[in-house]
Amino acid sequence: MSGAPLIQLNDVTKVYVTGAIRYEVLKGISIEVRRGEYIALIGASGSGKSTLLNILGCLDVPTSGHYHLEGEEISAKSDTELAHIRNRFFGFVFQSFNLLGRYTVAENVALPMVYHGLGRRERLDKAKALLARVGLGEFTGHYPSELSGGMQQRVAIARALANNPAVLFADEPTGNLDSKTGMEIISLFEQLNAEGTTLVVVTHDARVAQHARRVLTLADGRMLTDKQNSIAELTGA
Amino acid sequence: MNPFEHLRIAFDALLANKIRAFLTMLGVIIGVASVIMLVAIGEGAQTYIRKELMGIGTNLLIIVPGKTETTGMGRMPSGIQKITIADLRALEKRATLLNGLSAVVVSNAPVKYQNRLRNVEIIGTDQNFEQVRNLHAEIGSFISKTDVDAQRRVAVIGRTVRKELFGEANPLGRTVKIGETKFRVIGIMESKGVTLGMDIDDHVFIPVETAQAIFDQDGLTNILTQAINENTIERAKEQIKAIMMQRHAGEEDFTIISQQAMLSTMQTILATFTYVLGGIASISLLVGGIGIMNIMLVSVRERTREIGLRKAIGASQRDILLQFVIESVTLSVIGGIIGILFGAGVAYGAKAAFPVLPVDVSAWSVALAFTFAFFVGAFFGIYPAMKAARLNPIDALRYE
Repeated sequence: MSGAPLIQLNDVTKVYVTGAIRYEVLKGISIEVRRGEYIALIGASGSGKSTLLNILGCLDVPTSGHYHLEGEEISAKSDTELAHIRNRFFGFVFQSFNLLGRYTVAENVALPMVYHGLGRRERLDKAKALLARVGLGEFTGHYPSELSGGMQQRVAIARALANNPAVLFADEPTGNLDSKTGMEIISLFEQLNAEGTTLVVVTHDARVAQHARRVLTLADGRMLTDKQNSIAELTGA
Repeated sequence: MNPFEHLRIAFDALLANKIRAFLTMLGVIIGVASVIMLVAIGEGAQTYIRKELMGIGTNLLIIVPGKTETTGMGRMPSGIQKITIADLRALEKRATLLNGLSAVVVSNAPVKYQNRLRNVEIIGTDQNFEQVRNLHAEIGSFISKTDVDAQRRVAVIGRTVRKELFGEANPLGRTVKIGETKFRVIGIMESKGVTLGMDIDDHVFIPVETAQAIFDQDGLTNILTQAINENTIERAKEQIKAIMMQRHAGEEDFTIISQQAMLSTMQTILATFTYVLGGIASISLLVGGIGIMNIMLVSVRERTREIGLRKAIGASQRDILLQFVIESVTLSVIGGIIGILFGAGVAYGAKAAFPVLPVDVSAWSVALAFTFAFFVGAFFGIYPAMKAARLNPIDALRYE
């Protein structure tokens, strides 16, 4: 991989304190995320991979260490500034789709654009284009409850892409889906990465890990391995 | 973010739960409607009383026996003397700031014509009554000086009395019996209806000295007089006081009531009444606000995942705070508008159904109720909204 890193973490730790008990979830993580990468974060439950994803996505802040986004230190940013960064730079896909039932599919996809300040007409036009991109062009006026799980997750992906994010973060995106629809999501990720989207995916799903270009393994809050999947492995999968 | 987007989000959220939104608003609707209605009644009563008091004449002064108003310690009079015709004569002779004096004796007696009987308030008075009180005989004539001096048994009757006793027949020249005494009807009063709770039409007027004789009274119920103009009311009162005290052995055992004094007393009482009513109604508005807070707290809990998601996709704490405050303000303001329309509707409906009911929806009560509703929504919405804004997005997204 070439070019300056999009995200750079230096010796990041995360400690949760509950009453008298201290949980050291991350014990000094240093990684770089470059443009166009497709990274899978794997590890056992409690290894800290979700926490790392949340810190990367600015949903959470490190206890110590440095976070540079496009070379800029963001550890000391305010809530409003972090919200702005999440809105402009990142997209999120969750295990349990998190679509809002009272909005149509297109309105759900348009939601991040509301906080970007786009007008309603423009938002809905872009949302329709995004839905076409994930293969749901005909369902813009439907409500999430009328769609299958796989379709709902594709709506969530379209929503994550709404503001042309630099990175798309996904936390167990196939966790609530059967293997066939899970595979559809994996293919969609492949397609998006081929089109230039940077992906960071936390997963238990071995197939997702196989399709990623780079696999980071966490164990007990530390980086265990950081290996590039060879082209041979990819084609063999 | 554009505030209209927050408004749209608020409306979407409320429309998704119409019945709940309406029930939540109901507290505010009832509160605002009762503020509007009760203040309308209070204000209406004030307008009514003011109009009634204006009707009796701006310069009217009434001298009644006994000291009814005391200022400071108010020494006790050694004995209350009656107000007499002699007092009136003295005032007539010496007071320079008065325009007409009329003696009044009031008593109740049955009035009979043939086989019809009616209990009526009898007013014994003199020829000046017409001018001082601005009430005139419409048919026939009013009591004259000769009628008073000669203690004639003549009567002027009100409209209601005429209708009840005579029906369609002409009463002029007929004889009625007041108590056991026969009177000749010489006039019929013009119709004035009810003023100050007194039905002018339901009275019979007879010469004052005749009244004193048949009711066996040597005092007067009151003396009516007028100041020559508005600017001399206070000086006229002083003059009356000086003359009367001289005649009553230095004792101020009488009271001079002016229309202005009555007006200001009534205004004070009714304004207090209005504020008390408004205050009671405001309490129900406050209860409505607590209802809003309760529902907003439930709503924040229900929508924890939505809040987490909104934060993840770029909503700041401020955005979430505004979203929920605007939602609660929208609830209370819509409730306020419905309440104003409902309250005014009931007030005007009551006025249309019962025209005597004094009702007047005032602009200030509408403005006050609306502003109050707005701030109730903002005040009671802020705590749930702050709870929502402070949610940790990660925990919120995992909330089941």
